[in-house]
Amino acid sequence: MRGLAALTVLAMTAGAAGCDGTGSPRPDAKPQATLVASPTSAPAPAAAAPQPAALDLKDEPSTGDAERGRALVVKFECNRCHDGTGLATAPRDKQCVGCHQDILAGRFRAPAAIMSRWKEHLGLLRETPSLQAMGARHKPAWIEGFLLEPHDLRPNLGATMPRLAMTRAEARDIGAYLTRDRVDEPRADLSMASVDRGRALFETKQCGACHAYTGVSPRPALTPPAAPYGAIALAPDLRGVRDRQRPSGLVRWLLDPKKVKPDTLMPTVPMTEKEAGDLAAYVLSAPLSPAPERKIPERLAVLSRRVTFEEINERLFKKTCRHCHSEPDYALGEGGPGNTGGLGFAPRGLNIGSYAGVAAGMLDERGVRTSVFAPMADGTPRFVAALLARQAEEAGRPNPAIRGMPLALPALSPEDIQLVETWVAQGRPL
Amino acid sequence: MRVRSMMRRLVSVCALVGIGTASAVAGACGEEIAPYVDYRVMGVASAEQALQDGKYIAAAGMVVRMFPEIQRMSVGRDGLLARASRTLALATTRSGGALAALEREVPADLLGTLRGATDAERAENLAWSVNALRNLSEVRKNDPAVQTDLGEALAAVGPSHEEARKLLEGLAARDLVATPQGYAALGRLHAELGHDAERTSAVKRCEAMTKGAAYCAGAPSSGRSQG
Repeated sequence: MRGLAALTVLAMTAGAAGCDGTGSPRPDAKPQATLVASPTSAPAPAAAAPQPAALDLKDEPSTGDAERGRALVVKFECNRCHDGTGLATAPRDKQCVGCHQDILAGRFRAPAAIMSRWKEHLGLLRETPSLQAMGARHKPAWIEGFLLEPHDLRPNLGATMPRLAMTRAEARDIGAYLTRDRVDEPRADLSMASVDRGRALFETKQCGACHAYTGVSPRPALTPPAAPYGAIALAPDLRGVRDRQRPSGLVRWLLDPKKVKPDTLMPTVPMTEKEAGDLAAYVLSAPLSPAPERKIPERLAVLSRRVTFEEINERLFKKTCRHCHSEPDYALGEGGPGNTGGLGFAPRGLNIGSYAGVAAGMLDERGVRTSVFAPMADGTPRFVAALLARQAEEAGRPNPAIRGMPLALPALSPEDIQLVETWVAQGRPL
Repeated sequence: MRVRSMMRRLVSVCALVGIGTASAVAGACGEEIAPYVDYRVMGVASAEQALQDGKYIAAAGMVVRMFPEIQRMSVGRDGLLARASRTLALATTRSGGALAALEREVPADLLGTLRGATDAERAENLAWSVNALRNLSEVRKNDPAVQTDLGEALAAVGPSHEEARKLLEGLAARDLVATPQGYAALGRLHAELGHDAERTSAVKRCEAMTKGAAYCAGAPSSGRSQG
């Protein structure tokens, strides 16, 4: 299981599959070009989702230090999950998706029965976006904000960028490094572009085969052409493109994605410059309804039936937690960021690979060995609190007191958290 | 007899070396990036599972078959060897230093004192367990799982009871006793001193962890299935 000790995902920014995408609409995001007004009306707004901290999304070169940013990309080990960082690819047993890709391709050396079982269950961490050519398309300020408060950009990817232990200054420096190839070019003139024509082009060019575009008025259902898994998984929801993408970069991107970013899975769709302008106008300024409120699921009461470690282990720990909280000896040296450290995290020494490992606790922020079942301020055991915090993160309400787990992966269901909470309440039976 | 014994050991060691070599070669046959399978990883995991299931003879047998020289080896920082050593040490402790039935599992000449045929052999085995776990504790400082195991092993050796109690009490105060056997040992140590409330508390924690295993209340853990 060597490389399966690998880790988490960074579904960071870069638009490996396409025009890049989502986030929440931000009140301070201004159109980047004069556009022909669209008569398209958006659906009635739902309750607005909580917004990340206000960001200055103006499109200006970063004030960060790119050299320091490179050192931080090393520190946070962005190359464990991303290509295109400017660093060498991470060793196999540290990669987020390398082992999973090997398993799916039948290259992983393991007994056939085990491989078959893994393949059956392997749904997440199959792809991560490349960070190539960020400067050609992205606003440094957006990168900074995203690193500080990551949110889901790619509805079909499953995993997201993790919440790293990063300061604003560090995020700014990383933004400067990732956009170091930025070229300040004339602002795209979209004054003659039409949102309506762009909307029609969106249909005829079948952009919806890969991309969601939530918040725009409903589009007619089409039978999209088959697209490869990777392209669909990496394709961002286009809702947030206006927050992060430079109009000039977007037009160039639409005309020839591979010229901008050679490793992208976004196909080159034949279109004229005028069409690219119209499509860019639609993506950048079609009216959007507010993002629907993401609710934190209701916490369920503990069960009355007995729950054992064996059940929790089979259902959750083995499948998810161990990838980052493994015993290095099991993983032939790599215990994962949640045990031996990584992704900028100090070693926490938490091994979820065995009963004794979980019971042996973790190193807290002071480096003191502490029970993972110690109560938080509200009495919730820390282990459970981390699972609940992930649900809150998904709802856009990160808990500053605790990082949500599983890091960067979808939150556990209320039923699964109920199972863990019951197990803890029962004295953690074997 | 001595020559035969040496030959057997040599064959065992060669077999292990052979496994490692074959794996490494397979890994280099045009697929360098694919991690090769080290079957000892699965073997040690099976031994650990047997230990957790209370099958001490099976657990010890697997370890001795894979690492015939383990009692004489310096484990150092080799993680796999450390886990094997821990497994054998705890299997020995929980068997009271006597693993006579191991004769069914491994060649007799590999057993050394592990049978625990005499008081002296049993004491030697228990002392080896303490020593092995103490060494692990040195390598893995600040690891309550190893400290719990060491506390359990110390509790099985008369002169070490005070050290065992202090170690396990310290862990219990921080809710870091990592196994039910650790709480069971702490319960026995408190019982020796007539600390009824503390004993009851330790036994309760052990029982919550195990659904009331007999060894929590003082029965020797070797009373469980020997598998």
